[in-house]
Formats: sequence, C-alpha cells, structure tokens
Amino acid sequence: MKICVLMKQVPDNDSAIILSNDSSSIKLNDITWCTNESDTYALEEALLMKEAHGGEVVACSFGRESSQQVIKDALAKGADRGLYISEEESDGFDILSTAKIFTQALKDENFDLIFSGLQSNDSGNAQLGLLLAEMLNMSHAALVMGTEVLNDTRIKVKQELEGGWFQWTELDLPASITIQSGLNKPRYASLRGIMMMKKKPIDIFDSSQIDSTGSKNKIFLDKMYIPQKVKETTFIEGTPDEIASKLGDLMINDIKVF
Amino acid sequence: MTEMHHIPTVFYIFALVTILYTIYNFRRFFGIFSGKPESKLPKSFLTQLNHLFRYGLLQRKVFSNRFTYAGVMHFFLAWGFFILLFATTVDFLTARGILTKFLPALDTPWFAFINDLGGLMLILGLILAIFRRTSQKPEKLPNSSLSGRGNLLGDMGILIFLLLLAVGGFLSEAARLGADQPQFAAFSWIGYTLSKALSSETWIAIKPVIWWFHAITSLLFIAVFPMTKMFHAFVVFLNIAFTDQGKRGLLRPMHVSDLLSDPDADIENISLGVGNVMDFTWKQLLDSASCTECARCTTLCPAAQTGKPLSPMKIITDIRSALYNTDNGKSNDKLIGKLITETELWSCTTCGACMEICPVLIDHIPTFIDMRRHLVLSEGTPPEMAGESLEKTAQNGNPWGFPKSKRLKWAEDAGLDIPVFAEKKSADVLYWVGCAGSYDPRNQEVSKAMINIFKNAGIDFAVLGTEESCTGDSARRMGEEYIFETMALQNIEIFKKYSFNKIVTQCPHCYHTLTHEYQDFGANLEVVHHSEFLNELINTGKISLENNDEGSVTYHDACYLGRHNQIFDAPRSVIKKSRGRDSIIEMPRNLQNSFCCGAGGGNMWHEINEGDRININRFDEAIQTNAATIATACSFCLIMMDDAMKVQGKEQDVEVLDLAELVNSRLKIQI
Repeated sequence: MKICVLMKQVPDNDSAIILSNDSSSIKLNDITWCTNESDTYALEEALLMKEAHGGEVVACSFGRESSQQVIKDALAKGADRGLYISEEESDGFDILSTAKIFTQALKDENFDLIFSGLQSNDSGNAQLGLLLAEMLNMSHAALVMGTEVLNDTRIKVKQELEGGWFQWTELDLPASITIQSGLNKPRYASLRGIMMMKKKPIDIFDSSQIDSTGSKNKIFLDKMYIPQKVKETTFIEGTPDEIASKLGDLMINDIKVF
Repeated sequence: MTEMHHIPTVFYIFALVTILYTIYNFRRFFGIFSGKPESKLPKSFLTQLNHLFRYGLLQRKVFSNRFTYAGVMHFFLAWGFFILLFATTVDFLTARGILTKFLPALDTPWFAFINDLGGLMLILGLILAIFRRTSQKPEKLPNSSLSGRGNLLGDMGILIFLLLLAVGGFLSEAARLGADQPQFAAFSWIGYTLSKALSSETWIAIKPVIWWFHAITSLLFIAVFPMTKMFHAFVVFLNIAFTDQGKRGLLRPMHVSDLLSDPDADIENISLGVGNVMDFTWKQLLDSASCTECARCTTLCPAAQTGKPLSPMKIITDIRSALYNTDNGKSNDKLIGKLITETELWSCTTCGACMEICPVLIDHIPTFIDMRRHLVLSEGTPPEMAGESLEKTAQNGNPWGFPKSKRLKWAEDAGLDIPVFAEKKSADVLYWVGCAGSYDPRNQEVSKAMINIFKNAGIDFAVLGTEESCTGDSARRMGEEYIFETMALQNIEIFKKYSFNKIVTQCPHCYHTLTHEYQDFGANLEVVHHSEFLNELINTGKISLENNDEGSVTYHDACYLGRHNQIFDAPRSVIKKSRGRDSIIEMPRNLQNSFCCGAGGGNMWHEINEGDRININRFDEAIQTNAATIATACSFCLIMMDDAMKVQGKEQDVEVLDLAELVNSRLKIQI
C-alpha cells in the first residue's frame, strides 16, 4: 500500500492572530505554527495501515519554507519520505489552483491512497482531497471515521453522516479519502523517531517549475477581520418542567446539539 | 602460642564445599559488572569513609521515629551480628595461631563477655523480628520473600535459621565450658549459666553432636548467604561506598543534542533510557541488589498511600529480579510491560519520600525516570494527556500551550509596569516568573504580589517576558529529555544575553532545575527561592510588615523545596514574621516527612485513574489542623491545594495562600 498524506502547516489554535494594517493578511511574526489537526489523524491512519499491511507513507506539504517542519514531524512519527512543494505565496492560491499544483506533483507517484485531513483550520475549504480524486481519477470519500482494507484493490470506509449516523462504503483503489478528527490517537514523536527522521529523504518541488498551466486564481480575498465575540445569556423561567421542556427545545432546534 | 582447637579434617572438606557454593551463589550479583558506566560516582574518599561509618556501621538511617520498633529490632540484630562476626573472625585467627599476641583468647574475660552479649542481642533482635512478622504484620512488608532472591528459606525462614545458629552457638559454648571447665568460664555469662544445667559428663557426651550441629548450620548459612535477605549486610556497604549523597535524586544528563549531531549514532540499536535491565548503570544495579525489602519507601510513598499501583520497593526488587535472571549480564527481555507496568512508572510524583527514608541510600527517582525516558524517547508512549502538554511545551515554551507572546499578559492586564531585560539589559535580580506564574490565574496573583514586594523593597529587577521559556522540569521528569534539553539550552542562551547577579523565583521546580540541572549544560546560576528572598528582605529591613498577629497558618512543605533542597526554615520564618511567632500549626507529616501535593514529576499534566487523589489526602490533613490559612511556597502546590479546597467545598473555612501573598498582604505600603 503506497499512501500519501497531505499535510498543511496552520497557525496554532492558541496563537495570537493579529491582522496586517490593510486587513489582507495576518501578521506572521507572532504566529506559532503547527500541523493542521485533522491532518495528524490522517497521518496516524496511514501509519496504522502501513503497520498492518506494509507499504510506504509519504508526507506531502505545500507552502512556505517553514512548512517543511510539518513533513519533518510526520517523518519523526514514522512516515518514510517527504514531498515538499515550495511556494512562499501559497496563501494566495485558491483551492482549485492548489489542487492543480498537487496533481502535478503527485501524478507520477501512483499512490494507492491519498489521505488528507477533512479541512484545514485556517482556510477551511474541505475540498482538496475531493478535487484531487477527480483530477487523478481516483475514487473518493469524505468525512471518514474508520477504514478497513479489504484487499489490494478495495477499501471499506466508515463515513460520518448527519444526526449521528454513519455509513460504511466500499471504494475501489486508488482512492482519495478525507479524514475526520478523532478516529484514532495520533502518536507522539519519540526522540528515536526524530533521530531517524534526519536520515529520511524530503523531495522538493519548486511550484513555479511545476507545469501549472490553467492554475489561475478564480477566488480573491477581499478583506479579513476578527469576528466579534458576542456572549448571549438567556434566562429560562417557569416551573422545573417548563424550564426542562424549553431547554430541550432550545438544544434541539436552536443550538442543535442533539 | 595458645592451644589450638582440634578441628576434624572432614570439617575442612565441608568448609571448602561451602566456600565454593558461596562463590557460586555470588555469580548473580556479579551481573552488576555488565551494567553501563556510572557518571554519578563520589569524588571525596574521606566523605565516603564518613558515610560508611555513619550509614553503614552506625546505620543512622535505620533509626527513624516513624519506624521505631524496626529501628530497635535492627539495632539488636545488626550489633549482635557485628559482635559475633568480630568474635568468629578472632576465633578463626587464634585457632590457627595467627596474631595470638594481640588477639584475645576464647576465655579472655572481656572477649568472652561481649561474645555472649552479641549472641543475646542477636537472639533478642530475632525474636522481635519474628514477632513483627507473625503478629504485627506491617501491611507493606512483603511476605512472599522470594522476589528476586529465589531462596527456599524466605525472609521468615532466614530468621528461624539464624535463631538456630545463635542458640546452637550458645549450646556449643555451654558444652565446651561444661566439658573443659576453664578458669574464666563465668565471663561467658550466658554459656556458663547454660552449662550449669547439665553435668560435666553429659556435656562431654553430647559435645560432638552439638559442635557438629553448630558447625553445619554455620557452614550452611555461609553457603546460602548471597541468596538470602542477609546478603544486604554485605552489599549495602558497597552501595554506601559508591553513593554520592549530594547527587542523590539528580538525573543523569543524556546530552541529546550531541547524540543528534553524531553522524555515527546507531539509531536503530541505541538505547534511549532504560528498557532492558542491562541499560542501567552498574550503580543502579548495585542499588537494586542492596534493597533489604524493608518496605519503608512503599509505606510512605504518596502514590502507594492513595491506592495507586506504585510500590517503589517493588520496582527496585523487580530490577534485581531481572538482574539475577540474566545470563551473565545478557538479557534482551523487556523490563517494562512485563515486570513493571507503565502505570506504576507514571504514578511516581518524584516527591523523594522513598529516597528520604531509604536506610541503604537507594537512588529511586533517577532510576524511575530512566525507564520513563525509554517509554517517551524510545517508544513514544507518554500518557495521553501528558503527551499533549509535552507537545505544547515544545511548541509554545509552556506546558499549558498558551501563546509565548502572551507571557506577560498577566502584568499588562493588571496594569503593572514591569522592567523587561530586552530593554533594560541589566539588573541586580532576574525575576523568573515561571509558566505557572505567567499563565495560571491563581499563580498570577503570586507574581503580582512579588512585583509589589520588589517595588516596595526597591529591588533593581527585571523579567525576561516573552523570552522566558519553561525550564523543562515537568518534561524532564516525564522522561522527555529532548524537550528539557531544548528548553535548557534556549534559556541558557537568553541568560547569556543579559547581565544580572541572581535569579529569584517562586517555583521550587524552576529553582531546582535552574540550580542543579542547568549546571550540566554550562550554566552556573545563583538562584534564590522566594521564601529565602522574602526572609532576607524582612531580616534586613528592606520591607517592613504590619504584624496583626491574626490567624493561624499551617505550612505545606513542597517536595522540591524541602526534601530535594533542604529549605525548611526560610518559609517558616517568613510566616512567623508576617503572621506572628506562634502562628504556625504543623501538620503531622511535615519537614522531611512532608506529604506530596500530587503534582510533581509531571503528574500535574495527567491523571492516574486509580486510587484517591493525593492533593485531597494532603488537604484533609491540612484542614484538620484548624488553621485559618494553608500556606504554600510552590506554584504546583498552590494549584493542587486550591483545587482540593474547592473540591472539598472548604472555601469558607480556610484560605490557601502563597508566602508572597502572605507577605504582600502585610506590607505597609502598597504600590
């Protein structure tokens, strides 16, 4: 099984986000970077699959120089090889252009599986894995909560539906699968892993040298802003029964937690 | 030359067989020579000689007011044994005509007297020990006795065996005195009294039987000695000789950065931490061989006392067990997961209670941490929640995972104007706020109090602000030497940029790490804990306090301030000066015997789901003093005690305060 895991470097959730003066971007100096959360689950799923069925796991990232750290972390955790597509201006690419660049970089690798996190914590498109499936002629499944390899050519996946429902689906390989957070427990990078990482190769593609004809942005950023936090408190009054019924109603229809 | 005893030739044949068998039984012990080289060896010969006298011969640590019975028991056993060993050695030499000019003969009055005294002491000690094992049955004292030693006698068996030996000794003495009637027989007061029980003729008749009985039990004892609990009488002396008391508890640096930059490192086979018994240093193996299974460590261990699956003694004897089962030091058996479970290792708070009480100077904590290192650095399996805090430490420079850029937010929010080294470049005092002091809301109050005190006392100080990172204490104790070293090297680089005379910190964990552990990476820092600093400010009159003499205080000794760094008086002095001379009510477990809050050793960052919570246990002890205030001098203790107060719903009854808050509330001027 030859598996590629797409991994993105995103600002840490706890990072201090400060906008640039013209509100077109965020100030990068104060950012602590980390691997996109669902991508770490995608990597873990790939590593578990490799451990069970053999094969190779390739960690692939597209972005500025510092993105290589994401690949290094993946190699330290057990990925075999890195594939870095360098692009200092990667934030300026819309998702279709990004998918086209990935297509060019990955098309000759003939992966059996491409795993990616469900969506990135920063731009949140949730489309890359699906676009790649189309462009590389692979079957696909999104929101995957579990995987099971059936044989060399077929895989079964558990997808999350709405309202707490799940669905098992069988796919032909090659397939591109987007992984939902929480389906496994991402491993800790051991020092031994970090030492071994230093001996693993990272192939570097310069995105400007990739034939990306047609990858012109169709989406342009207008303005960025930090949403205002609004705290709303509603007091429910009445008898305990009335309160319970109103609270239940709120939870089901307004907050939609059930 | 005095008359030589007549000893039958067949005895010498038995003796030869015995010695060969003893040597054979020693073979397991020789496994320690296959251990890794030791870096913590003592340097001063005289100090070691002193320690051998103090801890070996006088057994100073055996006597503890928490184990009085056992102390008295051991005194009789040990000194009875020493005297008899001396007597037997003298007898052995004089019987062969060696040094007879200088040595006493069997019936030299003083020699005969102490000889019998020794025997009596041994018998008394044995009776006390047998009574303890049969009637008192201390809960944690192991009864199986086979662990790691594998002799059929067991711990109880060896007591009975020694009793036979001692009684046999008196009987054969009585037989000799009864049969030979020597001139000074009465000085062998017990043997002499016994000899009067039978007629001289009877003694003559049964003397050979008694003699052989005693001879054979003696030889058997020597033969099985290395297989029994009594072996400690030999190994412990070796262990004391090679233990550097000053370095006990200190972790061995791994120098990970050297390892990472070494192109020839055999990554696949390199041992990171200890996964196999032969990954220990020979001194750590000697430690394990020294354990007498007295169970004092396990009796006092906070994890064991709250029902967690940790027994420090079990881990040490498991190591011995693995050592004794190796084939000439070759063993590929995994230690962790088989003999020792991961939960046992993660239950340790590194509080040091085990090491404080251990009579034979075993260095428990570094040994446990070495095994954690294996789990984290080699296997990549820290406890789940701990793994998160480790990743956050690496990422953001603090285990909470708050942004590094917000490290001074507590001061900004409080509207405090604090000098920062990045601008000031030089100051007398570097105030090390620490992660808790920077990010934990409860500890931020302590930091604010410290700032007010600094300003009040007119101290020339500054903080590192966003340039400060976690010292790496928790990471290191969780076995994450790589993150610890990264933090240490990073902080040391920052220290080099600025000029300051000393570091002041309110966190004993930071204090311990900066003082003792950064030395291994080239930083010799003068670090002062805030308890000492505040005490000095008060004593030198730099701050003056309004002493309202109100409210009693019970002081919770932090492990890393008290046991690990012997700072007991300064915090108490600060309390007395801010709350009155008689304000302190001590808890039953105080000073060296203090009970952990439960957060040390990385336990702040994960939960062992078995047993009770350690902080609740300690809080309940504090509340029983009826003191109005529980005072702490440690960032983690403050969190744990404050948390326990809320869990127990005692907010109305007691307040939990740090020393700095106590002092700050008594300052005449608030700035």
